Amino acid sequence: MGQERFADIVERFTHGSEAIPVSPEVSKRWQEEIERARLRMKNFARMMADPVEPKTGQTPRQEIYKKNKSRLYRYESARTYRTPVLFVPNLGISRPYIFDLLPGASFIEHMTRQGFDFYLLDWGVFGPEDNGLTLEDCVTRILPRMASKTLESSGASELTVLGYCMGAPLSACFVATHPEIAVRNFVNMAGPIDFAKVGLFGVWLDKRFFNVDRFVDVLGAVPADMVRAGFKLLKPTMDLSTNLNLWWNLWNDRYVEGFSALNKWANEYVAFPAEFFRQWVGDFYQQNKLYRGELRMGGRPVHLSRITCPVFVVGAKEDYIAPPESVKALLGAVGSGDKEYVELPGGHISLIAGRGAAVHCWPRVSRWLAPRS
Amino acid sequence: MDSSAATQQLFDLWKRQIEEGTKAWARMIGEVPGAAAVDPTAFWRPLMDQGITAWSRMLSQGPASPELLTQWKQFLDQWIEAWSKALGQAMGTEAFAQALGKYLDQWLATQGPARKAGEQAMESILQSLGLPSRAQVTDVARQLVELEERVERLEDGIAALLKRADGK
Repeated sequence: MGQERFADIVERFTHGSEAIPVSPEVSKRWQEEIERARLRMKNFARMMADPVEPKTGQTPRQEIYKKNKSRLYRYESARTYRTPVLFVPNLGISRPYIFDLLPGASFIEHMTRQGFDFYLLDWGVFGPEDNGLTLEDCVTRILPRMASKTLESSGASELTVLGYCMGAPLSACFVATHPEIAVRNFVNMAGPIDFAKVGLFGVWLDKRFFNVDRFVDVLGAVPADMVRAGFKLLKPTMDLSTNLNLWWNLWNDRYVEGFSALNKWANEYVAFPAEFFRQWVGDFYQQNKLYRGELRMGGRPVHLSRITCPVFVVGAKEDYIAPPESVKALLGAVGSGDKEYVELPGGHISLIAGRGAAVHCWPRVSRWLAPRS
Repeated sequence: MDSSAATQQLFDLWKRQIEEGTKAWARMIGEVPGAAAVDPTAFWRPLMDQGITAWSRMLSQGPASPELLTQWKQFLDQWIEAWSKALGQAMGTEAFAQALGKYLDQWLATQGPARKAGEQAMESILQSLGLPSRAQVTDVARQLVELEERVERLEDGIAALLKRADGK
């Protein structure tokens, strides 16, 4: 450094300056800060010595149907609206309890309190025996069955399909190719549609640089650690800012509770089945077949223009996994007359989980759906 | 010390740090074989040096206030965000994607034979112990999945027949 020793700074910091008296206001703020420091130490010691397992997924639910690893859950609600909502999240990557993280911080709790008959498709955690499962199987075999079971269980004749992240393009493929299942509304939350605009993953997975066939042939399933590495690389400063914010808010018990739950979820990565990953990267990221209308599933062409029901698209301004322009692309591709796009503050996760989501996102989705359900 | 002047001073230092750090990062990305190695601490040293200097200056001009902590937090947040953007730009280039692809190729070239050898060794150990291998267990699980699929198709068929019978 040269100019001054660090010890001198600490000396002056602890003794203050004799020339300028400390005002009562500053003194009070210091007392508050010292109390916060005490609470930080207390909470830190508790987190280290006696970590409490966060109780996630507390909204009451019932398993309606299971198919291999996948489960369909129905959540308890007043069921004010006739049209049930089938929520389709991402397959692989992470577990779906992020959508029902904690009481008061749960998208599912919000929707059920609003009176929606809410169903969650939990794709499950796939093992090596599922390496033959393709994306096409998910769209043509699992999704239609889950939709039928939703209708059967709710007694309704139509349903709303709400896709989040990867669940949105999968659902879009399903809605576009299964006119026999009556879909009343389709909601895309942070789901990429035009893969020419998917940001860093799009560049890294470009077929000139990434040989997906070789990758799958050697590894089989894409291991959870590999998925973790990919997402960590996407935002290398994430852990640093997460830990900095934790330290800053460590005095706040509510923050610590939320952090523990979110941190548990954020560190629980899920592997991709081999053939699913091959098709996901090859057809979607590398060839953008969905948006170009070149995709075929179950012998049927997948044309997004065949989606004619009301469509609601939600993008997140700071989403670096599914940038808003890649999500918004659905609006121009569908054949619906009633369609709307909103771009909300937040990132890919904070769009649907956390305090911001409760204020900005969930009410927008429920308000849009209510008159159409 | 006037709080706005202190903040301005911090931001000036921050900008300088970002410029120096970005140059160091760019040098590392574009490093050519045979060139002198880049010191990785070049990313962090400017922040530490300049941050401590900033604190030193502010503390020498008046009594310490907890507001300094808030300013320091804001400074770190902005610093991390700026770094995130700089890294995002560097990693969004084709050069980076190409380097990443090459690294993965090399990793797969070693990983493939290593995995195969590991699996064969494990299989022979399990065989000598009279235990089923991973592949055999996986096969059984796969058969169960297929069986479940067949049962479902049968159920669908029966449901369709019943529906048709009801319609008559």
